[in-house]
Amino acid sequence: MRDALVQKLGTALLELDKGAVMDAARGLAGDGPEGAKQGVDAVTAALATVGKRFQDGEWYMGELVYSGEIAKDVLDLLGPQLSGGAGTNLGVVAVGSVEGDLHDLGKNIFVNYARSSGFEIVDLGTDVSPAEFAGAVRKYRPVALGLSCLLTVCAGGIRQAIEELERQRLRDVAKIVIGGAALTEEFAREVGADAFAPDAVTGTEIIRGWDEA
Amino acid sequence: MDFEQRFLAAMNHEEPDRVPVMGLIMDPATVNQILHRRGVDFPRMLRRPVLRGAVRRLLNANWYWNRMYYGNFAGALEGAIELGFDANWTIYASMQLEPDPESPIGLVWHDVFGRVWEMNSDDRGNMSVNYTRALCATEDLWEAWVAAKAPLFDRLIANATAFHRRLAREYGDRILPIGYAAPGIFENCWQAIGFVNFTKLVYEKPEFVKRVVAFHTDLYLRYIEGVMASGVEVVLGGDDLGQKTGPLLRPELIEKFFGESYRRVADLVHRNGKKLVFHSCGRIYELLDRFVDWGFDGIITMEPTAGMELGRVRAQVGHDLVLIGNLDVSQLLVRGTREQIEDAVKRAIRDAARGGGYVLSAAHSHPFVDPERLRWMVEAAHTHGRYPIAA
Repeated sequence: MRDALVQKLGTALLELDKGAVMDAARGLAGDGPEGAKQGVDAVTAALATVGKRFQDGEWYMGELVYSGEIAKDVLDLLGPQLSGGAGTNLGVVAVGSVEGDLHDLGKNIFVNYARSSGFEIVDLGTDVSPAEFAGAVRKYRPVALGLSCLLTVCAGGIRQAIEELERQRLRDVAKIVIGGAALTEEFAREVGADAFAPDAVTGTEIIRGWDEA
Repeated sequence: MDFEQRFLAAMNHEEPDRVPVMGLIMDPATVNQILHRRGVDFPRMLRRPVLRGAVRRLLNANWYWNRMYYGNFAGALEGAIELGFDANWTIYASMQLEPDPESPIGLVWHDVFGRVWEMNSDDRGNMSVNYTRALCATEDLWEAWVAAKAPLFDRLIANATAFHRRLAREYGDRILPIGYAAPGIFENCWQAIGFVNFTKLVYEKPEFVKRVVAFHTDLYLRYIEGVMASGVEVVLGGDDLGQKTGPLLRPELIEKFFGESYRRVADLVHRNGKKLVFHSCGRIYELLDRFVDWGFDGIITMEPTAGMELGRVRAQVGHDLVLIGNLDVSQLLVRGTREQIEDAVKRAIRDAARGGGYVLSAAHSHPFVDPERLRWMVEAAHTHGRYPIAA
C-alpha cells in the first residue's frame, strides 16, 4: 500500500496532477513517520526529474513553478509527521534580493525549488543591505549565499554585498551564486562571485555540487 | 530617403538607403543626460513630511500626471532626434500614488490594471519606476478590481490616444514615433495576479484565466485602436513571453490561452493599414514561428544575454518577420568601447540587414544606457549600414 502511494505521488507530481498528489500524500501522512519520509523522498526524486526536464528544455518556467507549489503543499502536509523534523538536509543556503531591488519572483522560485530539493533556506527577503547579507553569513554559516537582482540599476548591490563580506573577512565562509535578469556570467566574474545561475534549477545544482565537494 | 521612408521600407522588407536606427529612449536618466537637464526628484520630495501631501496630490492629479508624462516622452523624442535616430518608441502609462507600508517611501504607484510599481531615484534626481508585485492575487480580488476601475479604463484609452496624437503632431516631422501599446495582454493578465498565482490558476482554474484573458483582449483592442487613431504608422505591442532560458509558459499553453487574442490584435492593426511589431524579452526561439502565424510583422528586442542571436533568428524566420534590436544593454551600451560598439553594429547588419527587414536598435532601455554610446551606435549605423550591404 505504502509503495503504491509513493509511486502514485511521484508519478502524479510529474503529471502536475495536484489532486492525485495530495490524495497520495494524505495517505502517506496517515502512515506514520516512515510513510511521511518516503513521501518526502518521492517529492525530492520527482523534483530532480523536474529540474532535468527544465534544463533540457522539455519543461518551462510555468511547470517548474507549479510543480514547486505542489511540492510545497506536500511538504507542508508531511513535514510535521517526520520523526526528526524535515527529511533530507543538504545544508543551509541564505538568499535575498539585493539592496534597492524589491523583486522576489526569481528568488522565490529558487527558494521553493531548493527547499523542496533538501536545502534549508534562510530567506532574507528583498532590499537586503550588504550588512544584512554579511550578518546572515556570520550567523548561519551557509553552504552558499544567493544574491538575486532583477534590475540593472541595482546590480551594484551585488558588488557591494561581496565587498562587505570581504571587509568583514567572511568571503571564504560561503560560496556566492548570483542570479536574475540583470546579471550575466561575465558580471559574476567581474564582481568576484563564484557562479552565475540563469535559473533556479541551475542554481540549486551548482550549490549541490559545492555541498558535495 | 527621409526617416519615415527609410523605416517603412525596412518594415516592407525592401532595402532603404541605409539601415534605419530606432531609439528606445524613455528613462529620465538617459533623456536628461542628452538634453543636459536635471531630474525632478519626486521620490526625495515624497520622503519629506512637509512636502509629501502636496506632492502626492499633485502627482495624482490626472492633468499633472499627463503633463509630466508627456514632458518625459517629449524629452525622449528630442533626445532621439539629437542622437540621430530615425524612430523612437512612445509609451503611455497612467498610475496613482497609494500608501503602502511595504515600500521604503511608504507610497507606491498603482496602475489601472492592478500592479504595484515602486519608484526610486538616482543621485541626480532621475526617477525610475519598476513593477514589483500584484494587487489581485485571487479571483475575487481581480473581479472586484476590474469592476471598481471600469471608469479608469475609458480614461486610460482617451489619455493614451491624446498622448500619442500630440507626440506625432509635434515631432512627426523630425522622427517617426512608434506607438507602443503597453503593457500587453499576457502581462496585464499575470502581473496583476502574480506569476505564481497565475500559473496555479492556469492549471487549476483555466476557465477563470480565459475570462481574464478575454477581458484584457477586449480592453487591449480598444487601447490599440486609440494608439492607431493618433496617426502612427507602426504600432508596437508587447509582452515578455520569455525568460533567460526559454518561454515562461509552454508554447502550447500560450497558444491555447493567448493565440487567438494575438491574432485579433494583428488583424485589427492590419485592417487599419498599419504594421505591428511585437516586443518580448527572453529566449524566445520556440515562439518565433507562432509570431509569424499570429500575424506579427516584426519583433523587437532579441535579448542577447538570453542567447538570442540575430543570424539564428533570421535563419529561422527568413523575411517573415522584421527584426529590430539585439544590441546589448548589459555591458556594450553601458560601458563598451567605441570599437566594440562598431563591431557589434557591423555584425548585426551583416547578420540581419540584407534584403531589408532589419532596424538597428538597443535590445532594451534602462537608466544606465549611456547616451554617448547610443550616439556611437547611430554613427556606426550611418557608416556601415549603407545599402547594398557588403558581403
